[in-house]
Amino acid sequence: MLVYILRRILYTVPIAMGVSLVCFALIHIAPGDPLSAIIPEGASPDTVAQIRVAYGFDRPLPVQYLKWLAHVAQGDFGLSIMTQRPVLAEVAPALVNTLTLAAAAVLFGFVLGCLLGVASGYLAGRPTDKVVTAASITGVSIPHYWLGMVLMVIFAVNLNLLPATGMGEGGSGTFGLGWDSLQYLVLPALTLSVIPAGIIARSVRGTIAEVRKQDFMQTLHAKGLPGRRIFVHVVKNALPSVLAVMGLQLAQLLGGSILVETVFSWPGTGFLLNNAIFTRDLPVLQGTILVLAMFFVLINLAVDVLQTVVDPRIKRA
Amino acid sequence: MPQTSIALAGADAPAKGRRPATRSFWRNVLRRLLRDPVTMTCFTILLLIVLAAIFAPYVAPHDPYRTSMARRLIAPGDARYWLGTDELGRDLLSRLIYGGRLSLFMGFAPVLMATAIGGALGVIAGYVGGAMNMLIMRVIDVFYAFPSVLLAVAISGVLGAGIGNTIFSLTLVFIPPVARVAESVATQMRMQDFVEAARATGAANWRIVLAHVVPNVTGPILSYASSLISVSIVLAAGLSFLGLGITPPEPEWGLMLNTLRQSIYVAPLNAVLPGVMIFITSMCFNLMSDGLHSAMDVKQ
Amino acid sequence: MNRRSFMQLLSGVSLTAVSLTAGELGLGLGSAQAQAKPGVLRVAMTAADIPLTTGQPSQGAEGIRFMGITLYDGLTRWDLSKADQAAQVIPDLAESWTVDPKDQKVWTFKLRQGVTFHDGSEFNADAVIWNFDKLMKTDAPQFDQAQANQAASYDANIGSWRKIDDYTVEIATKRVDAVLPYNLAGLFMSSPKRWEEVGKDWGKFAEKPSGTGPWILESFKPRERAELIRNPNHWNKARIPKSDRLVLLPMPDANTRVAALLSGQVDWIEAPPPDAVPRLKQQKMQIVTNLYPHVWPFQLSFLEDSPFKDVRVRKAANLAIDREGLVKLLGGLAAPAKGMVDEKHPWFGKPTFDIKYDPEGAKKLLKEAGYGPDKPVKAKFIISPSGSGQMLPLPMNEFIKENFKDVGIDLEFEVLDWEALRARRRLGAWAPENKGRHGINNSWAYWDPDIGLIGTAASFAKVPGGFNWGDFKDAKVDELSTKAKAAFEPAEQNKILADLHSHIVDEAMWIWVVHDLNPRAMRPNVKGFVQAQSWFQDLTPVTVS
Repeated sequence: MLVYILRRILYTVPIAMGVSLVCFALIHIAPGDPLSAIIPEGASPDTVAQIRVAYGFDRPLPVQYLKWLAHVAQGDFGLSIMTQRPVLAEVAPALVNTLTLAAAAVLFGFVLGCLLGVASGYLAGRPTDKVVTAASITGVSIPHYWLGMVLMVIFAVNLNLLPATGMGEGGSGTFGLGWDSLQYLVLPALTLSVIPAGIIARSVRGTIAEVRKQDFMQTLHAKGLPGRRIFVHVVKNALPSVLAVMGLQLAQLLGGSILVETVFSWPGTGFLLNNAIFTRDLPVLQGTILVLAMFFVLINLAVDVLQTVVDPRIKRA
Repeated sequence: MPQTSIALAGADAPAKGRRPATRSFWRNVLRRLLRDPVTMTCFTILLLIVLAAIFAPYVAPHDPYRTSMARRLIAPGDARYWLGTDELGRDLLSRLIYGGRLSLFMGFAPVLMATAIGGALGVIAGYVGGAMNMLIMRVIDVFYAFPSVLLAVAISGVLGAGIGNTIFSLTLVFIPPVARVAESVATQMRMQDFVEAARATGAANWRIVLAHVVPNVTGPILSYASSLISVSIVLAAGLSFLGLGITPPEPEWGLMLNTLRQSIYVAPLNAVLPGVMIFITSMCFNLMSDGLHSAMDVKQ
Repeated sequence: MNRRSFMQLLSGVSLTAVSLTAGELGLGLGSAQAQAKPGVLRVAMTAADIPLTTGQPSQGAEGIRFMGITLYDGLTRWDLSKADQAAQVIPDLAESWTVDPKDQKVWTFKLRQGVTFHDGSEFNADAVIWNFDKLMKTDAPQFDQAQANQAASYDANIGSWRKIDDYTVEIATKRVDAVLPYNLAGLFMSSPKRWEEVGKDWGKFAEKPSGTGPWILESFKPRERAELIRNPNHWNKARIPKSDRLVLLPMPDANTRVAALLSGQVDWIEAPPPDAVPRLKQQKMQIVTNLYPHVWPFQLSFLEDSPFKDVRVRKAANLAIDREGLVKLLGGLAAPAKGMVDEKHPWFGKPTFDIKYDPEGAKKLLKEAGYGPDKPVKAKFIISPSGSGQMLPLPMNEFIKENFKDVGIDLEFEVLDWEALRARRRLGAWAPENKGRHGINNSWAYWDPDIGLIGTAASFAKVPGGFNWGDFKDAKVDELSTKAKAAFEPAEQNKILADLHSHIVDEAMWIWVVHDLNPRAMRPNVKGFVQAQSWFQDLTPVTVS
């Protein structure tokens, strides 16, 4: 097991390198000149040339990559073209906000998904199961940016029950655990949670159906254990894989929240990324994608390792 | 939505219990599908949408491009414009029918391309093994190391809007998981006795691949790819919604959602209709994919 | 149950019904929001980020509106106190100026005395020189590339500057340029003392900026909010803000802004989407509009492959557009364009070509030019799905495409995102990237003679130095432009510019479509705002009761 974990960690290094190369290459396949975003209307050719040198756009690509990688390794992701602030200083707080949103969404999704999943897993094959399956598929099929828009109009504008946008009166700086702050989280997190809810429901349903089919369950039944005890067994056996799904979902939502963040003006990485794309702020685009992808790699690693620790029976190559 | 199935359908989980891919197996699958009311209902709905899209010029009651400021944002339920009109006074029903063309195309095209490319890469990696496997799979792993929505948004954002760019970015997103499914099956096949035996008799590699590997890989890949179609539709619509996908004046559901969004306060029903279409279509594909899964899963 | 109510049930978003029910149940009365506080004005901007706070704001005109003229003053400023006429440039930190009659490139500015920065230090000639060095002297320690980039379109023609005495500076332009006072309204004065205090670091200065303006920046969080408080010591007592505090919130999504206003999260939103207006009015929100120097045009190519080389085709295209229909699409928040500038503008003049909706006239002109039903004009325009001043570009362009089809112009689009479109505009129609593109849909500001008329039309003002994208060449335009540049009397200059404008309208230089009416929506308790005919607005008289 230890060997596997070590190998798994070592294996992450080349992946991370590959990811950084893709991030770097990404912006250079872009049509047009990255310079265009930072030159105001009617700038003279002199100014253009001067900016080109100042931002290092005059060096060959491999040099730019190595220069960039060396800086990235030291946590220096460059300066935002639009704001002149360090990219890391832009991405780090945004990442915290996105994590908050994604965690809340996964939590909502967990509760919702478990309820649906357990119900349908126990009722496998009956009409109720069909209904529940359909409901969980709804979660997977719905365009959630559209759902967010509809929820906002109903709950924020028409009912005036919940705030429509942002992270609170004081912004993310004063975001805390009180209802004052949390009410801002409800709509975006709920919107985002339909994805993990559907998936967790499917996964719970599948696991429960499978566990119930296994031999030891038959034995327990034969022994005449009460239903409650059997339920505990089911949960114990289903938990590791459900937790794994949750971890992976959390990781996926880091990238998936871009549409919801745009709709709700949630100041996370998605909002940042959308902004960077439309202003062609390439350092920010690069930095955000790199940080998110690295985080994704790390969460996947953690989930994998934890799963191995929790359930050593899982054999791995 | 998007990322979901990718994480779910578990490209990680090696397909268990290979069945020999025989003609009778596929006949059985088909028989089970035909007996499943949910699958058949979804199939019928999708067939209607697809046929309507293909024969749009004959089916659509009005010209989907004809604008008129006099009749903009008529509510659904109108005697002449059954589903109402959009912000330019164009018939919504006709636009939804025409919109099906691009939206469905955006569902199928990237999945088909990713299945072909990813499948081929996976089979080669799995069957050849060794250094080739290392090379292909590590590159695949790098792309797999991005959250799928992020990768799609990043590539589309960088390349700009347009059908070609959207298909390219979605294809790139779908290749890694397809390749991983194909690779794991192909690797298992390589270890099988009958493949070893075929090799020992000196059969050409391409013959073995065609005769033994491809037929066995087809099932899992198809089953997996079917679950990607709805992901592709929702994701493509999402890109259009962000302004990164289809460009106007083409009717496309995501783009219609985007432009009608401004009208949600005066014409809420008109504004949500394209979303309903995306939802119904992607739900049908998901339910069918589910049906296919279970039809193929029954032990023989 | 009739079909309509059945549909509503089906879709599950019978919004009105839901809200009515909620009202009956007494829900939604205790709003979730912290309601407006007296003295605090909360504004939702269309920008996605807080503009640069160091002096020269980013985010274009909106940046100057909220982070330029709030924190800072320039040597001149726009008079934003009147709603009934185009905004004029008036003295600000400079009290008066003169032009050397012998060398018209040399200007002398007398500075206002007794003005202090937010940090208490004094504003004087040294501060002006220091700020010009900050923008234009690349080897000065305080030189700031970010601000220089933003200032480039305002300072491009400034050649040299020097101090005469503590309250007098001399500025020399590179070419004779009567437009200088307009440009100076876009150059802002940051405090040299504060920059020294924070360790000569513009990054730190941005956190704690200091200008001479009516507002002081208290704090800001990128992409979330900026909080400004009243500067009680502003030199101009009439412009000391009536509100205690101004909160700026970036909200790029138009629907989100509407939701934020309706749910009480903000008091004021910029650019509400036209279709939200009926709903906003129904909830007693104020909708404020006014003309301002904005036009939504297609800039045309005059290259060999462009059908628009022929003035008849240009005129036909101008006559083909149903502008009233577009105004309807825009919820009445626009006015049909009759040229580059609006009819009431002093530069409008007396053009003989009347721009209106006349499809028959258009067809006739096209026939004369050799086109017809079997031989349509084929044109390709570059458009964007969004962008500052672009209004509702996609539906508007789709509408115009239909209009064009009716008279026999087949229009094709290349859709680029806003920054990419702007990049193509800076390249000019002759760039290889723009091959086969005959027009570009880039909304335009005509706030000064350069950007509005001279720069767009004169053959010596080709991009990137000027704004002439399509290589328009006209001897009369060049002659009038040169004359206007040397006309130092505003009345005389306006007259020449009116002649210039009449001429380019008669030449149908661009396809002019509509003027935006610069809509904003406010809660009913926002009082005292006068919407000037300008891209900039003064927030100092505004109160929230």
